[in-house]
Amino acid sequence: MKKAYNETWIDNLHILNTADHWFEKKLISQEQLENARKAFPQKFYRPGIFVKIGLFIFTLIACSFASGFVSLFLIGNGAGENISIISLICMAGFIFFLELLIKNNGLYHSGVDNALLYAAMGAAVVPFVSLFDNLEVWQYCIILFAVAFTATLRYADMVTAASAFFLLICLLGNLMMKFPIGKAILPFAVMALSAVIYLLVRKDKSTYYERCTKLIEVLSLTTFYLGGNYLIVREGNALLNDLNLPFAPQIPFAPLFYLFTLSIPIVYIFFGLRKKDRILLILGLLAFALSVYTYRHYFSPFTPAQELAIAGMFMIILSAALIKYLHTPKHGISDEQEGKRKLANLEAILVAQHLGQTPVEGNNVEFGGGNFGGGGAGETY
Amino acid sequence: MNIQTILKSFVGKAIISDEQASLIADYEEDKPFSLHWELRSILYLGIVLFGSGIGVIIYENIDTIGHQVIIALIAALTAWCFFYTYKHALPYSNLEVKNPKKLTDYVLLLGCTTFLILEGYSQFQYNAFGTRYGVAVLIPTIIFFFCAYRFDHKGVLSMAITGLASWLGLTVAPLSILSENDFTEDRLLGTAVILGIMLSIAGWASEKQNIKKHFSFTYIFLGGNLAVLAAMTGIFSDKAQFIYIVAGIALSVFFVQRARFAQSLLFLLMGVVYGYIIITYLIFSNIESDDASFTFGTFYFMFTSVGVVYFLLHFKKFLGIKK
Repeated sequence: MKKAYNETWIDNLHILNTADHWFEKKLISQEQLENARKAFPQKFYRPGIFVKIGLFIFTLIACSFASGFVSLFLIGNGAGENISIISLICMAGFIFFLELLIKNNGLYHSGVDNALLYAAMGAAVVPFVSLFDNLEVWQYCIILFAVAFTATLRYADMVTAASAFFLLICLLGNLMMKFPIGKAILPFAVMALSAVIYLLVRKDKSTYYERCTKLIEVLSLTTFYLGGNYLIVREGNALLNDLNLPFAPQIPFAPLFYLFTLSIPIVYIFFGLRKKDRILLILGLLAFALSVYTYRHYFSPFTPAQELAIAGMFMIILSAALIKYLHTPKHGISDEQEGKRKLANLEAILVAQHLGQTPVEGNNVEFGGGNFGGGGAGETY
Repeated sequence: MNIQTILKSFVGKAIISDEQASLIADYEEDKPFSLHWELRSILYLGIVLFGSGIGVIIYENIDTIGHQVIIALIAALTAWCFFYTYKHALPYSNLEVKNPKKLTDYVLLLGCTTFLILEGYSQFQYNAFGTRYGVAVLIPTIIFFFCAYRFDHKGVLSMAITGLASWLGLTVAPLSILSENDFTEDRLLGTAVILGIMLSIAGWASEKQNIKKHFSFTYIFLGGNLAVLAAMTGIFSDKAQFIYIVAGIALSVFFVQRARFAQSLLFLLMGVVYGYIIITYLIFSNIESDDASFTFGTFYFMFTSVGVVYFLLHFKKFLGIKK
């Protein structure tokens, strides 16, 4: 599939980001950085996040009113065929402008192109829904997946990549549900599919798809863990079989799922540290938290408040100990602060707003309502 | 594309020398894997969980522990926080003061929060301020303004602004301006617009006068949002329209102008969106017939939104921002 954005520029952007990092670490001089900028030019229009948001919103408004404008002439009696024709015309128009703007204005995920792409995809799907309105779920999944996947290949957009992934999982689930045996092995199927997808995207090393592959890595690792999580499987099993019992019943292969719940987070964290892979590490930590929750959901002898206090205490002790231990880097792991927070201004305001509601007037209720702890010392951080 | 190929192309284009390339390659090879943010997140989350857990446990056992003990504990914590901040504070300056001890920032924020809790608690339990709510709100506000300037803390500044607003009966939290404030009351609406404008002016002045320049974002963001949203409510509800129209449009222009000084493009977005909504409302509220406004609307939105997109694509040229 031919790619929509200028690949040389994307490579150069990546190179310059690396050079910026080296400059920050004082490995190259200012002059060398300037030379690099000259040698690897890129002319993408990349405004800040807020301008992107504005561009996205106003492009969506323009798209919806443009399609309204087209339908003024062609709506006729409002039959499925008319709507399909309108949406096809709109899709052609959106794609035309998308390609034109990418070419002329050097857009690169700048808000306008995202909005136009989603609008075009939406328009592309409408005919299928309005003309074939009694297909099965898995057939819709296949059609939508084809659209999302093609769009991802050409535009390397993260939203389309994520939706393609979820459509695939949805397709698998829907097909498995058709057979009794499928319901039983659904968790394993989800895990297998996730593993396959993860291994496939790991193979792609191109800069063009870097953000998409990262995202798919995150998603597939998440579904892999969730597919093996005891809590999810047990409750999901009860839900799928319409068992209206106060407690979800025990599941077959329970020991196997205990093992998954315990071992997957540990494996993630271990390989995350070993391979210096932040995605694996963070997902491992989150998965570990969910595993602890799973354990307490079925076996905990404590009240929720005690659990919070105990969990908090462990987290404080563990992280404080590690911060102390890593004061000088050990085993290739450090506690050095890297990068700067870009939205520090906004963060400060939001944190303070969260805490700063003066409690005297009106907010008194909080103290009577048992919400005291939440407003306590903790949230300062 | 990996580090080796980038280095190769750098050497190939004579940007860096061979030795430097091998130096960088060594650095990339051995650079440690930083767990800084992960560990901090776990620590802060741990503190939140621990604090909430302990809080609930205390709440459940309030009868056996007693209110005095808890108030004494909170008071002690507050006092310790302020003492700690004071001890590690750097001298005052009109410029930004960056305390190398990161912890002091958090301790000050904690102290201010516990001070609010302390005050609320004593009011709730012992009715310490009676019905003089104004005093109860004004005290923390003054203390927070002082602390914000003395210890250079943006978070505490926005807490102080929040306090000031609630002294006037308003909420300035960006997401709850419309939901929490009762703008059906004319007096409150006017107060909101005036307070918001004053805060924006304070922000603008602190930049012009070079007194804590970096505070201006907080002032303008909180004040400006409050004023514009209040003005918009005023415009929509036909109350003393003209003043609110002028205020709303002037503030939108002010936001767009602020973006020019590149503090944040957030102001550009706010100015454009608010201005667009106000102007659109004014145009459509003056069209009487439904049919006309429908036909006109289709064209209006299509062309103006394209116009806004065009403006945002070329905003640097329009605003004369170089670079």
